[in-house]
Amino acid sequence: MDELFEPDGTPRAVARPLVDALERLGHDGLMDAGRRRDAIFVAQAITFETTGEGGATHERPFPLDLVPRILAASEWDSIKHGLAQRIRALNHFVDDVYHGREIVRQGLVPWRLVASCPHFERAVHDIHPPGGVYTHVAGCDLVRDRDGTWRVLEDNVRVPSGVSYVLENRAAMARLVPELFARYAVRPIEHYPQILLRALRAMAPSAASDATVVVWTPGPANPAYFEHAFLARQMGVELVEASDLVVRDDMLYLRTTRGLERAHTVYRRLDDAFIDPLAFRPDSLLGVPGLIRAYRAGNVAIANAPGTGVADDKAIYRFVPEMIRFYLSEEPILQNVETYLLSDPEVLEHVLEHLDTLVIKPTGESGGRGVMIGPDAEESEIVRMRGVLTAEPDRWIAQDLVELSTVPTLGSDGALHPRHVDLRPFAVFGERVDIIPGGLTRVALEEGSLIVNSSRGGGSKDTWVLADGVEPEAPVPTLADTAAPELPDLRFGQWNDQQQQQQQQGPSD
Amino acid sequence: MLARIARELYWLGRNLARAEFTARAVEAVFQSELHGAIDSVPSVSFGAGGLLTMLGAVDENQPAGTEALAHLTLDGDRPGSMLASVERARDGASTVRDVISAEMWEAINITALGLRGGGQPGWAAAAGPYLSSQYVKERTSLIWGVAGRSMLRDEAKCFLDAGGLIEVSDMVLRMLRVALPGADSPRADGYAPILLKAVGGFHAYLRAVTAPPNAHPVARFLLFERAYPDSVAACVDSLHAAFTAADSGPRNSTPVLRVSRLAADLDFQRRTLPDGAELTGICERTQQELARIDQDVAERYFAGAYAAGTWN
Repeated sequence: MDELFEPDGTPRAVARPLVDALERLGHDGLMDAGRRRDAIFVAQAITFETTGEGGATHERPFPLDLVPRILAASEWDSIKHGLAQRIRALNHFVDDVYHGREIVRQGLVPWRLVASCPHFERAVHDIHPPGGVYTHVAGCDLVRDRDGTWRVLEDNVRVPSGVSYVLENRAAMARLVPELFARYAVRPIEHYPQILLRALRAMAPSAASDATVVVWTPGPANPAYFEHAFLARQMGVELVEASDLVVRDDMLYLRTTRGLERAHTVYRRLDDAFIDPLAFRPDSLLGVPGLIRAYRAGNVAIANAPGTGVADDKAIYRFVPEMIRFYLSEEPILQNVETYLLSDPEVLEHVLEHLDTLVIKPTGESGGRGVMIGPDAEESEIVRMRGVLTAEPDRWIAQDLVELSTVPTLGSDGALHPRHVDLRPFAVFGERVDIIPGGLTRVALEEGSLIVNSSRGGGSKDTWVLADGVEPEAPVPTLADTAAPELPDLRFGQWNDQQQQQQQQGPSD
Repeated sequence: MLARIARELYWLGRNLARAEFTARAVEAVFQSELHGAIDSVPSVSFGAGGLLTMLGAVDENQPAGTEALAHLTLDGDRPGSMLASVERARDGASTVRDVISAEMWEAINITALGLRGGGQPGWAAAAGPYLSSQYVKERTSLIWGVAGRSMLRDEAKCFLDAGGLIEVSDMVLRMLRVALPGADSPRADGYAPILLKAVGGFHAYLRAVTAPPNAHPVARFLLFERAYPDSVAACVDSLHAAFTAADSGPRNSTPVLRVSRLAADLDFQRRTLPDGAELTGICERTQQELARIDQDVAERYFAGAYAAGTWN
């Protein structure tokens, strides 16, 4: 389905003002805005490193498509509630896995599967983080299938990235094509850094209100470094690297120009494996020795908590609806995509027979690497995959193919073409779950392609969630219309007098 | 603030100041090399060769004249060139993007992008060194202006400024040491506006000093005139203010004490030195003192960053 146009080619009701505005801008207007967009992104170095199949990388301006995606208020409400529900359940699951393991005892999730997750960390067993929150920042990937139903494709609760592009996309759209916004009341998103900061402060171990929060980046060579710096700047906190951090007596300190200063909350943007060479990978140069000891002692909060990766494993994904029923006694609002675990010989046999209609994903990879889409695959690839799956069924899952919805996208020829999209909304779990309206819409820039990952040549769109109860046809009152300025006691006379005097004196000097 | 960030900002300041100083000097030398020497009065010469010596860019295949200036502007392989300074500044700025404002990062990034790959069309022509140095002058002024308007006046700004100040004073001293003729030279008090033009201070000199721009008064002006922002004395004063503001205990801080001693010493020299006295010795001593300050700064403020072993 296309989100802006009916099957017969007429714009949907919600999209009509947008389509009108795009037509008024015309081919030249859009191409011109596109050129200004690239210039702005290059100047600010908002670029993305892309990795080709051969492993070669190069930087290009982050590809923002100028046609926004529109979500109606009612639609967003159900997404929001569904996500909040899902994230609470995932949080319960992480807590359970490292403590009582009730869900395993009940026989709902096999322990073998949990223990074999690459991100299951024995080192954090029995640690209670402040507030009982593990999944502070979550980004779930959503897609719409043929009839428009939203489904969760993947959960990301380790270090989901992309939120900086959401904010930069909106800022750029408002500068480049303000006329598109004119007939819509779009919900703002710029407060995300403040929500995040509030959540990070709330989890700090000290009662003091001036808890020191830091963003921890692996360094400028990391592909998401722009986002790390962006978030630190927007929150007004330090962006630290491992060399800035040191643990003494189970306390975490920053090396500053005034000696060591204590840090309370770390928003880390690197994987568990690297954060503490004493607890995880001993060869990690990016880590801080003793960090997990300080964390266990309750002297430092870490977001997201170490060990949360167990909840976004591709094999565990299949059990999330069960988790929602088990922990929350609710029915899942958002559905999963049908997923097959290949450890069951009967399921494996079924999958092997239908390889040409399914999607096969490796459980240990991210960013779209190693994914095989059955209907698009060559015969030789399917034969190879059959061998791989038979040899190591545990390392792969199979999913039904979802026909992603499309949104018109500006091609290099200046015309609009339908392209497949997904959606990654961002949720912050502090004292409650906050989800900023919209999220990162990723778009496959090639015709028919279903791969939207930015690292594989995908683009992005600004995502508009409309405010409730505002008709798209009615003009939206702006702030300038609602508040008329009135300054009765201000006089402008004197300044004019002075100027006149100077002018009169001028020629006589 | 983080020791690593402070160090990056300090070096960002140094690299920006170095690029700006090089641009001004290249412009002045470019102009003066177009003309011959004045016949009637002996003049102090400061040409492309002097500039290369001053920037420590001398090597065996010493280019001369306009070619040397082209090397000093857009040859990224020479560490002394404008392009290399700007690239270093950009690399540094990219690691402190969360501390400096987005506007400032953008200004630095655009400057580097504008200089890369030979710069703009037309810069390959004979006027290239002039055009590119003009560009860098404008861009660095913009960067410092944006920094002044958009950065918080906190420790971060202090370290950025300190880097710039120490670089400017060091450059002025180097230039004087290279260009000032010896006491027994016939040009000992030669006509020396080139030294003022190379730092962009010709106009300020004319307004502040009544004597003609000969070597002695010009050198005194560049060393001692506290009202002129790029003089050594003014830089040292500001350096003192910056470190005092950034230091947690300025009363027993080695760099602060050393800077304040240097400021007092310069003031004393200004009062006691007779007109026409030799100044190269003072330049040399002051420069050595600045090198010691640089070392103290690294030890006191950036020690954490060094101890981590990531910098060498």
